[in-house]
Amino acid sequence: MELRLEKFTKRFGDTTVIKDMDLTVGSGEMIALLGPSGCGKSTTLFAVCGIHKMNGGTLHFGDRDVTTVPAQERSVGVVFQNYALYPHMTVEQNIGFPLKIQKLGKAAIRKEVERLSELVQIGELLDRRPAQLSGGQQQRVALARAMIRKPDVLLLDEPLANLDAKLRLEMRSEIRRIQRETGITAILVTHDQVEAMSMCDRIALMKDGKIVQLDTPEQMYSNPRSQFVAGFLGNPPISFLPATAGAEVVLANGQSIARPRDLQASGDLILGIRPEHFGPQHGEGLQGEVIFVEPQGREELIDVRLDGGGDIRSILSAGAPIRQGDRVNWGVATDSILAFAPNGVRV
Amino acid sequence: MTSRMLGIGFLTPAIISVAIFFLLPVLLTVVFAFTNMSTSTGIMGGDYQINSEQLRSVSEIGISEESVELLENAGFQITEAGLTALAEQFGDETAEELREDYLGETFTARRDLERVLRNLDEPIRQTRDRKTAADLFAVTIIGERFDTESQFRAALEKTGVDPVDHDTLTEFAYTGWTWTTDNFSLLLELPSTLRFAANSAFYVVCTLTFNIVFGLFLALSTFYLPSKTANTFRAIWFLPRILPPVLYVLMWNWFTWDNGFIATVTGWFGVPPQNWMMQTTTRAWTVVILINGFVGASLGMILFSSAIKAIPTSMLYASEVDGANRWQQVRYIILPQMRWPILFMTSYQTLSLLTSFEYILLATDGGPGRSTEVWALAAYHTALNNYGGNLQYGLGSAYALVLVFIGIALSALYLRFFNFKELLAKPRIEQ
Repeated sequence: MELRLEKFTKRFGDTTVIKDMDLTVGSGEMIALLGPSGCGKSTTLFAVCGIHKMNGGTLHFGDRDVTTVPAQERSVGVVFQNYALYPHMTVEQNIGFPLKIQKLGKAAIRKEVERLSELVQIGELLDRRPAQLSGGQQQRVALARAMIRKPDVLLLDEPLANLDAKLRLEMRSEIRRIQRETGITAILVTHDQVEAMSMCDRIALMKDGKIVQLDTPEQMYSNPRSQFVAGFLGNPPISFLPATAGAEVVLANGQSIARPRDLQASGDLILGIRPEHFGPQHGEGLQGEVIFVEPQGREELIDVRLDGGGDIRSILSAGAPIRQGDRVNWGVATDSILAFAPNGVRV
Repeated sequence: MTSRMLGIGFLTPAIISVAIFFLLPVLLTVVFAFTNMSTSTGIMGGDYQINSEQLRSVSEIGISEESVELLENAGFQITEAGLTALAEQFGDETAEELREDYLGETFTARRDLERVLRNLDEPIRQTRDRKTAADLFAVTIIGERFDTESQFRAALEKTGVDPVDHDTLTEFAYTGWTWTTDNFSLLLELPSTLRFAANSAFYVVCTLTFNIVFGLFLALSTFYLPSKTANTFRAIWFLPRILPPVLYVLMWNWFTWDNGFIATVTGWFGVPPQNWMMQTTTRAWTVVILINGFVGASLGMILFSSAIKAIPTSMLYASEVDGANRWQQVRYIILPQMRWPILFMTSYQTLSLLTSFEYILLATDGGPGRSTEVWALAAYHTALNNYGGNLQYGLGSAYALVLVFIGIALSALYLRFFNFKELLAKPRIEQ
């Protein structure tokens, strides 16, 4: 079912948190609301599920206008950050609760609970209570409970934030699998770009209550519309260097590199160079001193302080004979450089 | 060493207060309960005395008629005390003559003594005078005060009362308090015991139910109000608890008096003015339960409110998204998680209601009749405010001691079944 949010406005007291936001999620699509804390992503989610009232705008599930429909009748499933399982109920009662509210028969509830517990693979845990479950298991129960009413929309509020790194990886693919299997329209709220990029069809990157870019993960990474987007996505993060573009591009520290082929603009710019686009594999060009080496197993992160000022990061395969304090002269893949105007807009 | 001393130092005030304000009263209650102390016995020792008014009830404790008669008049003896009195009334010569001839002599019958008096050289001529004079020598223990038991027994010996009756009479004559278990057998016999026990049970059950249900209602209803309104509401409902009991009950009195609020308002509709508290037993109970119920409910409200607030908001959101309306949210999500606070309130209030009587005392004072007299109030009335004028400390303590034991038994029961240790160890509302 398609979800269409139009001109959505939300105020808390006198503060307008979100103004005139538009967002359309296609049927069966999974979209991420990504952004730093306080950007309004959770507020948007709470408005979509009906817990917060909207101060303006409309919300449609398919053809149905649900703007003023209370949460109880909205047909949404929500997985909360802390799972919000009912501690006094067993797993079975937790999952079956939405159906119990609908006054379904015991047998019918039991059948549905079994179907869902199979989907999220917790069939053997039905008699336990939430306190007896691990974080990952609680997560699966919360997911099953959110899905049992076959909702039009599935909303996930930071579902992986409380899990340890290994479980997070496992649940990432699990949630994606379940979403694909059921074909449900889903919104994932997260501040973790890796989660957003690995799980979702599209990402809506938010800042200060606005969507700054709505794109597929690949597009957003390789073709950011602003310095903020470029800086938010990518791990390890991109390096920014101020520069002036003429026949050549001269960095603020006096060193120069070749002008990227498709660069139109001239004058003062900010160059965004991702770590994989700077290193010995790109020839020579920028001189500096290695100030930090951070081994990451398969790869190593190397921070270089350029002569004349400015730091730039490189990522190399592990085992490269680089030590802190080494002098280096490494090249830049000039055609992959992202250039931004001083106000942050991509040029 | 120093730190240990410091610990003891810090504990001392607590230990002293526990000893003075808890252990000592309980100990004294136990002691008093096994005595027949009352206003008439005093709380110090006593002496031995049977006065003429008591004489009538002597036969009721199994003393034979002859003994009673002997107590009253066991013959006559010429003693110095009698002679001195005689000298004052009938002249020194008569007394002197009698002393010389008859000092120490005893007479079994009155007429023998009277004959002697008539035949003296200085006789007492008038028959009436002789009677009066003979009375001066009558041997009796009625109205006489003896400091010790042995003095009393010696006097009894002289009267010639059957020795079988001596023990009973000594006990009867003792005016101080004695050790006894009579209080408890009396409690078992008195029909009012059952009445007070039933009253107490009725009072506790009704008030407790009102406390919990109304406290829960207030907590839940204020939970769904905007916080500012809710706080105002809670503050108002908390008034009964923070008002001094006397003032609070006084307001109820004004409310229910025969020219009070209810009477005035109902008067507009032609209802004759009447006391809306004391007119009938039903009304008295209603008022008593409401007075105590509001006080208890306000405490419940505070406790339950914070317990509800401890439930994570996301859990309530989740239930809304799951389709639960307000009622279902309360029924399935909030109430089940309030089990421990409710159990705690129930047990705590049972104990405090069992022993509380001050609001009833101020409102109905157990009336009308003794229909709202609960056990604790009966203890108070018996021991400290007896209409008969004789405050029965011993019997009152026996009433109180029963409460002490019920309290200890209930506490032990709660500790066992509700596993208080676990309840107090960690909050029961989990994430």
